Amino acid sequence: MNTLTDNSLMLRVKAGDLDKMGLLFERYNRPLFAFFYHMTHKRDVSEDLVQNVFYRMLKYKHAFTGEGEFRTWMYHLARNILNDSVKQNRSSDHYDVSEMADKLGGGTLADEGFEKREDVDFLHKAMAGLSDDYREVLVLSRFQEMKYDEIAKVLNINEGTVKVRVHRALGELKKKFFTNERR
Amino acid sequence: MKDDKDMSCEHAKDKLEDWLHNDLDKADRLSVDKHLAECVNCQEEFAADKQLWESLAKMKVPEPREEMRVNFYAMLDNFKAAEATNKPFSFQTLIEKLRDIVLPQWTVQVAFSLLLVGLGWVIGNKTSQNNVSSTAYQQQIETLATQVEDMKSNMMLALIENPSATERLRAVSYTSDITHADEKVIDALFTTLNNDPNVNVRLVALEALTQFAKDAAVREGLVKSLALQDSPMVQVALADVMVKLQEKGSVKELRKLLDKEGLNDLVKNKIEQTIKDLS
Ligand SMILES: [Zn+2]
Repeated sequence: MNTLTDNSLMLRVKAGDLDKMGLLFERYNRPLFAFFYHMTHKRDVSEDLVQNVFYRMLKYKHAFTGEGEFRTWMYHLARNILNDSVKQNRSSDHYDVSEMADKLGGGTLADEGFEKREDVDFLHKAMAGLSDDYREVLVLSRFQEMKYDEIAKVLNINEGTVKVRVHRALGELKKKFFTNERR
Repeated sequence: MKDDKDMSCEHAKDKLEDWLHNDLDKADRLSVDKHLAECVNCQEEFAADKQLWESLAKMKVPEPREEMRVNFYAMLDNFKAAEATNKPFSFQTLIEKLRDIVLPQWTVQVAFSLLLVGLGWVIGNKTSQNNVSSTAYQQQIETLATQVEDMKSNMMLALIENPSATERLRAVSYTSDITHADEKVIDALFTTLNNDPNVNVRLVALEALTQFAKDAAVREGLVKSLALQDSPMVQVALADVMVKLQEKGSVKELRKLLDKEGLNDLVKNKIEQTIKDLS
C-alpha cells in the first residue's frame, strides 16, 4: 500500500494532479482554522484565511521542494498571510474580544461550571492582551503542538529565539492571568 | 553547575516549557522533580504555569462552517479550469461567483414573499367585498403557500439539468425551504447526487436530501448512493450522514465500499470509523 504522506501529496499537486489538494484540505482545514481562530478570534476571517492558504499553496506549488515538511511550509505561508491581512486591516483591532465574549457567554462552556468558564473567559482576555509575536508562539506551541525546531522554521528565526519567546510569552500571560483584577 | 543532583532554580526554569510539554528525558525529569520537591518557590511557579497551560487547552475553537469546504472545492475547480485554459486565475472572480450563488437566492426569496403578501391582500379585499368567511380566506392563503412551494419545485426541476454548475447549485438550493418534496423533486436530487459531474453540486444535493431523510425511501436511496460515489469528498460526506441518521442499514454497503479498489486512505479510515460508530 502506498502511504500518502503530506509531502508526496503536495509533490503530486506540484506535478499537476491538483485534486490531491483536496486530501490536504481534508487533513489540515481544521487545524489551520484553529490556528487563525486563536490568532484573530474571528470565525469568518479565519475561514477566509484558510481558503487563502490553500489558494496560495496552489499558486506557488512550484516552490514546494519536498525537502522540508509540508506542514512547516503550510504554516509558514499561513502566518505570512495572517501578517498581510493584519497590515491591510490596521484600523480594526484584529483580535476580537467581543465576539468571543458573546460566544462563550452562555454557550458551549456553560455546562462546565461557572468558575471554569470564567477562567477561560479571562484567558481569552489575557491572550488578547499579548503581542502578536507572543501569541503566535504560544498558539503554535500549545495548540498546534509544534516543537521549537519546527516553530523556528515556520517563523524563520532560530530555535534559541523561539525558546526565549515562548518563555516570555508564558510569563507575560501568567502575569495577566494571575495578577489582573478578576471579577 | 553541572551537578544534576543539585539543580539550580535557573536550570529548573530552563526546563519549564519542556516539562509542560512532557518532553523531558527521564534524567531531566527526575532532577526537575527533585528540585521541585525541595524548592517551594519553583514548586509554586511550576504549579501556576501548569494550571495556565491546562486552562489554555480549554479554550474552545468553533467548527468552521460547511461553506468553507464548499468554497475550497469551488476554488479548486476554478483553479483547475484556469490552469487548463491557461488563463490567469482571479480570486476576485471566484468570490463574486460564490456570492452570485447566494444573492439571487435571497432576491428570489423576497420575491416569493412579496408575491404571497400581494396576492393575499388581493384575495383579502375580494373576500371582504364578497363577504366570504375568514376560514375560506385562510384556506386560500394556504393554497397559495402550497402553490409557491410548487413553483419552487418547478423552478428546481427546470434548472437542475442546466449545463452550468452554478445554476444547478441554485436549483438544489430551492429545495431548502420546501417542506413536502414530491417524488419528482426527490428523484431529481438523487440523479444529481449520483451523476452530477460537479462535486459541489453533488454535496449540496446530498445536504438537501438529508433534510428529507424522514422518508424511508430517501434513506434507502442514500445508502445505495454509497456504492456509486467515486469522489472521496462525497464518500466522506455520505458516511457522515449515515452516522447522523444512525442508519445501521448502511453498514453492509459501507463494508462493500471498503473492498473497492483504489479507495484512498483517508476515506478508508473514515468508513472504518463510521462502521464502528454504527455497530
Ligand atoms: Zn527553585
